[in-house]
Amino acid sequence: MSIAMSNPSTATTNTATATPTLPKEDDLYPLALLMDELKHDDIANRVEAMKKVDTIAIALGPERTRDELIPFLTEVAQDDEDEVFAVLAEKLGSFVPYVGGPKYATVLLPPLEILSATEETIVRDKAVDSLNSIAQELSEEQIFHDFVPLIEHLATTEWFSSKVSACGLFKSVIVRVKDDKFRKVLLQLFYNLVLDDTPMVRRAAAKNLPTLIDLLTQNIRLSTEDDWEFISNMFQKIVTDNQDSVKFLAVDVLISILKFFNTKKDYTHLPDLLHSAIQLITDEAWRVRYMAADRFIQLATEFVEQPQLLQQFSQPFLSLCEDNESDVRKAIAKQVPGYSKLISKSDKTIVLEKIFPAIQTLSMDENETVRTSLASEITNMAELLSKQECIDHLIPILLNMLKDECPDVTLNIISNLEVVNNVVGIDILSENLLPAITDLAIDVNWRVRMAIIKNIPLLAKQLSVQFFQERLSNLCLSWLWDSVYSIRDAAVENLTKLTEIFGSDWARDEIISRLLKSKSQLLENFVYRITLLHALTGLVPVVDYEVVIDKILPFVNHLSQDPVPNIRFNVAKSYAMIVERLDKDKYKDLIDNTIIPKLQELTEDQDPDVKFFADKSLKKVKKLME
Amino acid sequence: MDVDSDIPMHDAIESQQQQSSSSYNKESNPPENNKHVSSSSPITNSSPSSDIISNSIKDTVNTSTTHDNTQSNNNNTTSSSSSNINQLEEWIEHLSKCQILSEDDVSRLCKMAVDVLQYEQNVQPVNVPVTICGDVHGQFHDLMELFQIGGPCPDTNYLFMGDYVDRGYYSVETVSFLVCMKVRYPNRITILRGNHESRQITQVYGFYDECLRKYGSANVWKMFTDLFDYFPITALVDNKIFCLHGGLSPMIETIDQVRELNRVQEVPHEGPMCDLLWSDPDDRGGWGISPRGAGFTFGQDISEQFNHTNDLNLIARAHQLVIEGYAWSHQSVVTIFSAPNYCYRCGNQAAIMEVDENLNRQFLQYDPAVRPGEPTVSRKTPDYFL
Repeated sequence: MSIAMSNPSTATTNTATATPTLPKEDDLYPLALLMDELKHDDIANRVEAMKKVDTIAIALGPERTRDELIPFLTEVAQDDEDEVFAVLAEKLGSFVPYVGGPKYATVLLPPLEILSATEETIVRDKAVDSLNSIAQELSEEQIFHDFVPLIEHLATTEWFSSKVSACGLFKSVIVRVKDDKFRKVLLQLFYNLVLDDTPMVRRAAAKNLPTLIDLLTQNIRLSTEDDWEFISNMFQKIVTDNQDSVKFLAVDVLISILKFFNTKKDYTHLPDLLHSAIQLITDEAWRVRYMAADRFIQLATEFVEQPQLLQQFSQPFLSLCEDNESDVRKAIAKQVPGYSKLISKSDKTIVLEKIFPAIQTLSMDENETVRTSLASEITNMAELLSKQECIDHLIPILLNMLKDECPDVTLNIISNLEVVNNVVGIDILSENLLPAITDLAIDVNWRVRMAIIKNIPLLAKQLSVQFFQERLSNLCLSWLWDSVYSIRDAAVENLTKLTEIFGSDWARDEIISRLLKSKSQLLENFVYRITLLHALTGLVPVVDYEVVIDKILPFVNHLSQDPVPNIRFNVAKSYAMIVERLDKDKYKDLIDNTIIPKLQELTEDQDPDVKFFADKSLKKVKKLME
Repeated sequence: MDVDSDIPMHDAIESQQQQSSSSYNKESNPPENNKHVSSSSPITNSSPSSDIISNSIKDTVNTSTTHDNTQSNNNNTTSSSSSNINQLEEWIEHLSKCQILSEDDVSRLCKMAVDVLQYEQNVQPVNVPVTICGDVHGQFHDLMELFQIGGPCPDTNYLFMGDYVDRGYYSVETVSFLVCMKVRYPNRITILRGNHESRQITQVYGFYDECLRKYGSANVWKMFTDLFDYFPITALVDNKIFCLHGGLSPMIETIDQVRELNRVQEVPHEGPMCDLLWSDPDDRGGWGISPRGAGFTFGQDISEQFNHTNDLNLIARAHQLVIEGYAWSHQSVVTIFSAPNYCYRCGNQAAIMEVDENLNRQFLQYDPAVRPGEPTVSRKTPDYFL
């Protein structure tokens, strides 16, 4: 590659020539040069070189990779910049084949151990990921002799960064150790991390604990009473931590513990665990309450087997609905139908008498994100109710939410009306639905208008043709003349979908004939003409042949002489669509005598784009006619 | 709204950015560029750099004549060569996902673009209907939003008035995309030159560094900045709307005088071509010294005279941040700015101007594109201090 410009025209190009260039992507660079690049002064070069380190390994072969490259990389891992470390840490994870297979995989551990101790989180995370993937390939023996000592080493250093990394490695070994005594040592080690002085370490431990418990759940017969002694102590430690940022992780730990005992069908601990759960739900730190609210269904689901325990969640649930923090209310609002479903199996009255008043309050929350969150799920309540209950309890709330001033709330309700429709039919909502739709249809934000258009076909399926015709078809046509292209485009697609629902005759009488009657004044504008062309072309695949020939084709023919080339090449495209739709035998004459000559005319157009698209369509048409 | 109040804002950002970026890019020898933007005295001194510039003009002119010889015979075939079209459509698809082309492809693209652009005129005639757009400044996703609002090219005809690169994070993707569209649909899209389509300015405001970062070398920057020399500097829509990036020049009274300029060169530090890309309208009458250090300010008397002399309805220009995306000055000068939330923090709307076949105008305003991960429906005001 030549970097010396043949024509160094300005002073500024000097900077260009002074910048060293890099090898092209796929060039296999000479090995020595790449090694040199790894020692280059410029960090960008070292990063690029490090990205190709697997190429070096392949070229060197397993033996020299082990004997020369890995020691070299171990050195690099102690003396370079984080950017280089990050690449190295990632690359080493896939190095097992390059060092000669799993048998030799342990040579990769020393450099990764060094990288696991760096201060930069990105590097550490990558090193831990790589270590975990290498551990998958190690034998029991190697785990025991090399990997576990590495964890021990990291977990017992002074510096927090190594300990944080250590927390992430236990999941690779915990269930591979069949020896109870040895697993106890590991859990003791992890327990020490849970007790660590530094919150960062405690947080990492608490974050990794659910994974460890889930692994024990998957290997249900492996763990002993002693193991659970440890885990129980760890949970107690986390749940009483003085740092919120540690404590709120206890929610996930608790869920994992519950899953374990439920899998084991051991229900003796449930009352105690319920107590812990309620403690977390009512914690004074809002972050903890938020976490509990966010995972509420998961927590409650674990108590489904014990209805009398499950019922004790109701009071805490209602208090979360009235929480001072809007984020907590926002989280719990999403859980309302899920929890109601769980509880209604045993006690439906509580849903109607306690939960519905809470929903009522949430639906009028001062914070619009809370209302939006509620609106995204609330319609699912319909599934739990009889038709009459729905009408008495749910519908009034929905009607109110449809009038919400925040478009996201209304939109969420409208997007999820299908469930309600299945229970009561949405006719009952239509009186309020319409004003809501009309408001959204003219919202200043075009993405809101877009969202409502996307929902129209769904509504159309649920409403009668007649109702739709009276109340919504004008709206659907008006979107065609929106100032934003994307809305016009969506409006065209919407008409196609509506025709699929209501049929060809409806499209002919209510859409096409009305469109063709558009005022000639409007048609003086290019945007109107091209939109009309797109709308009619969009209907071609979904209406009957007669409609295409009697209504659409004459209009397309008419536009083939349009003064604007953009219209003419879209006419060319439309012809191909029309021929594709028509029965080639029945309409052979028409195609041969009208469409093809028109297309041929367009291929002679002055505008190169018209020519191009006419050529393309003509080829397509001729192929279709063969 | 009052355009005058926008000038300081625009400048404040330029000079502020420039300070931080000039200290950041020590290797890209910016000192002499600073003069271009911040010094209040017009550049009249003959520093060594202007010699270099004039040399460069000769060089580029030489190359352009050689191009003329070699390309003139294949120009007729470029528009119809179907392998080229397939190649371009492949590139456009690739670029529309905001992925860069390879260095070799950029090189091929720029060669094809020279073949198209060198035959365009200094005052490129443009037909109606057309949608006229202002600065984009590397805000690729907002450019895609622009097409969502105005309609895709080639169904809609577009005229962009310069400043595709610098500032935003995707200058490479933005300029590659627009140049690709230009080569694929030369009759459907017109791309003018802005003051940022220059070797000097791009070294200070980001395009140079972006090329270096994305390609590992300055080769792509070199290819594009060499190509910029061929961009037309003004356009005339239906003989009635004069479109250009900056504004008028005291050395230009008629549009024919623009036709006589030799545009194939680096944007000069002074003179008519510089003014067309740098000037701003002003509330004060007559000609004024521009606070930008290049170009001039011109008053209503000047623009009225120019429109009268040349039988124009309107001057459409870009170059200045305007909060609502477009702003009128002098009754017959409109500023259009198409980078919403400029520099990802100015909080401005963007706009484009649709001109139909009867020269009726409609302005379409829009907000920044929704970024991945954000909810698609939101009314929240953008976070200006990301």
